[in-house]
Amino acid sequence: MKDKENYNFPDDAGRYGEFGGKYVSETLMSALEELENTYENLKGNEEFKNEITEDLNNFVGRPSPLYFAKRWTEKLAGAQIYLKREDLNHTGAHKINNTVGQVLLAKHMGKKRIIAETGAGQHGVATAAVAARHGLECIIFMGEEDIERQSPNVYRMKLLGAEVYPVTSGTKTLKDAMNEAMRDWVTNVDDTHYIIGSVAGPHPYPKIVRDFNSVVGVELKEQSRALFGRFPDKIIACVGGGSNAMGIFYPFLKDNSVDLIGVEAGGSGIETGKHAAPLSDGSIGVLHGMKTYLMQDKSGQILSTQSVSAGLDYPGVGPEHSYLKDSGRVEYNSATDEEALDSFHDLTKTEGIMPALETAHALAYAKKIAPKLDEEEIIVVNLSGRGDKDMANVAKVEGLTL
Amino acid sequence: MSIINSTFKNLQKNKSKALVTYTVAGDPDLESSEEIIEEIINSGADIIEIGVPFSDPMSEGPVIQLAHERSLKNKTSLPEILSLSKRLKKKFNNTPIVLMGYFNTFINSLNSADNFHDINDEICEELKNSGVDGLIIVDLPFEESEAIFKKLSEYQIDLIRLISPTTSELRINDIINNSSGFLYYVSLKGITGADISSCEELEKRVQSIKKITNIPIVVGFGIKDQQTAENMSNFSDGVVIGSAIVNMIEHIQTKKTENDFAKISKFVGEIKSSLQ
Repeated sequence: MKDKENYNFPDDAGRYGEFGGKYVSETLMSALEELENTYENLKGNEEFKNEITEDLNNFVGRPSPLYFAKRWTEKLAGAQIYLKREDLNHTGAHKINNTVGQVLLAKHMGKKRIIAETGAGQHGVATAAVAARHGLECIIFMGEEDIERQSPNVYRMKLLGAEVYPVTSGTKTLKDAMNEAMRDWVTNVDDTHYIIGSVAGPHPYPKIVRDFNSVVGVELKEQSRALFGRFPDKIIACVGGGSNAMGIFYPFLKDNSVDLIGVEAGGSGIETGKHAAPLSDGSIGVLHGMKTYLMQDKSGQILSTQSVSAGLDYPGVGPEHSYLKDSGRVEYNSATDEEALDSFHDLTKTEGIMPALETAHALAYAKKIAPKLDEEEIIVVNLSGRGDKDMANVAKVEGLTL
Repeated sequence: MSIINSTFKNLQKNKSKALVTYTVAGDPDLESSEEIIEEIINSGADIIEIGVPFSDPMSEGPVIQLAHERSLKNKTSLPEILSLSKRLKKKFNNTPIVLMGYFNTFINSLNSADNFHDINDEICEELKNSGVDGLIIVDLPFEESEAIFKKLSEYQIDLIRLISPTTSELRINDIINNSSGFLYYVSLKGITGADISSCEELEKRVQSIKKITNIPIVVGFGIKDQQTAENMSNFSDGVVIGSAIVNMIEHIQTKKTENDFAKISKFVGEIKSSLQ
C-alpha cells in the first residue's frame, strides 16, 4: 500500500480514496454536519473519553479476553488460533462498543429519541440497552424476514423498552430497515439521533463507528505484546457492513507484518450469485449515503442478497473496506452458508463457545487456512458475537424443531 | 434560454404559476405511464417530472415507494425511460421534461464502461438527445456534484436542487450557485406525501430565498389538493404534485378504463385552475 505511512482517511470530504462521501437528501445534510461537529469537538475531550472508558469497562465489561483455542488448534494441526472474545461483551457482541459512544453523542446534541436499524438484532439490542440506560425513547427498524429469523433478539429489545418496527418494503431485510430508519430520521430530525450500527452510511458514520469499535484492535495490540511479545501474523474478521472487522483492523493498518483478512457471506457460493459478498463479486455504486462496492444489476438496481446470517445479509459494505480492498492492504474472501454452519458446530463442540453465525464465517476461513500454516504462526479471529440468538435458526436450517 | 427558463417567463407573462407533476415511468406499465403523462400535459401541466424507479427510494413515502416497486416489477429501465422522453418531446416540444431519481441508477445504467464514473459526456449526450431538460437527483447534494453540475450545463441540462426546512442560510447560497432551472423547496421535514404543518413558516422561508435569487422556486412534498396548491402558489413560482396523482395511478392496475385517465385529467385541470 503506497500511502501506508500517512494513512489518514477519511479526508475532509468524508472520503476514503474515491469511496464514502455524503449522498443523502438535503434535509439530512444539516444533521450530518451537526453530528460531525459534535464528534470532532468531543473526541479529544478528556471528560468525554473518560465517560466512554468508564462505560466500556463497567457497563460493557471490557477489555475482552484474548483466548487461546487450544483444542481447535490441535485439531486443525497448524497455526495457533486465538479468539478475541467480543462475544463476552454485555449484550453479546461488538455492537455495544459503538452504541455506548453514539448515545453519548446523542445526549450532547440534546436528542431525546434514538432510532436504529438492525439485521441480526445485535445492534438493535445494543442500541436498546444504551437507550434504556440513559432513559431515551428508542425505536428499532427491522425487516420482517429478520424478525422471524431472530425472534429471541426481538423480545430482548422489547424487554429493554424499545419499540420494534417491522419493515415490510423491498426485501424485508437489513437494507430495507436502513431505508426505513432514514425515512424516520428525515421526518424527526430535530429530536432524533440515528445510531447507524455499521461502518456504513454517509460520512461521518463510517468514521465514528470505526473509531468507537477500534477499542478492539487497540486492546489486541496490548494483549499480543504481553502474550506473544509480537503482533499476530493474521487477523480474520467477518464482513457484512464491516464494523467488527474495521474495529480490529484499523489499529493494525500501518503494521504491514500483520495480514488482515475480511470474510464475506458467500451464501450458496459466489458462483451461484446467491450471496452477500459485494467485495468479492460486486461493482461500485451509491447506496445509503455512500459510494462503495454493491450488489447490483446492470441497471443500478440493488439486488437481494442471500446469507444464512441476518447480520451479513446486506448488499453494500463500509466505504473504507472498499478502499482497503482496492489498495490491497486487506484481503477479502468469502465463506458459504455451509462452511459457516460447519464452523459454528466445530467451535461449539471443541471449545465450548457458541459463535454467532456471522462470526462463523470468519472461523470457517481460519479453519481453511490454519492447517496450511506453520505452528509458530498466530491467527487471531475476531469472535464478534455469541450464537445464542441463532439457535432457532440453525435448528430450522438443519430440519430440527426445538 | 433553456425550455425551463422560457416556461417560467411565459407563466410570469400570463400571471400564472407552474404546475409541475410527478409520475413514475413504468407505473402501472410503460405504455400507460406514457398515456398518463400525455393526459396530464393536455390537462395543463407545465413541467413534467418523470420518476426513475429505484430499488431503494429512501426519500419516498409509502405511495411513491409502491409506484417504484410496480415499475421495477415491469423491469422498467433508464434507456426505456429515455425513449419515452424522446417520444413525449416530439409531441410536446415546449413542455420541459425533468427526470427525478436516485444517483445510482443514473451512473450505473447508462455507462457503457464497466467501471463506475460520474455523469460524463456520453451520458449527457444521451440525455440531451432524449429531450431531457433537467435532472433532480434526490441523494446528490451539491458537495458531491460540482463537476456534474458543470458537465450538465455544457449540454444545457439543468440540475435542479432541493432546499429543505433544515438547510442553513450558508448552504442556501452554495446551492443557489450550483443550480439552474428552478429550485425545489421541500415543504416539510419528511418524505413525499406527508402532511404540511406550517404554511406561514414556509412562506417566510421561500420569501427570504426569493430575496437573494431570481431562480424560480417551486414548492413540493405534501401538496394534495386545490386549496393547498393555491396557498403555496401565492408566495412561490409553482407547485409539485406527486403522491396525489400516483395514488390515483395505484388504482388503475392492468385493466385501465377511459374513466381512470379522466379522473387524473380532471384533478390536474382543477389544480392548474387554482394557480391562475
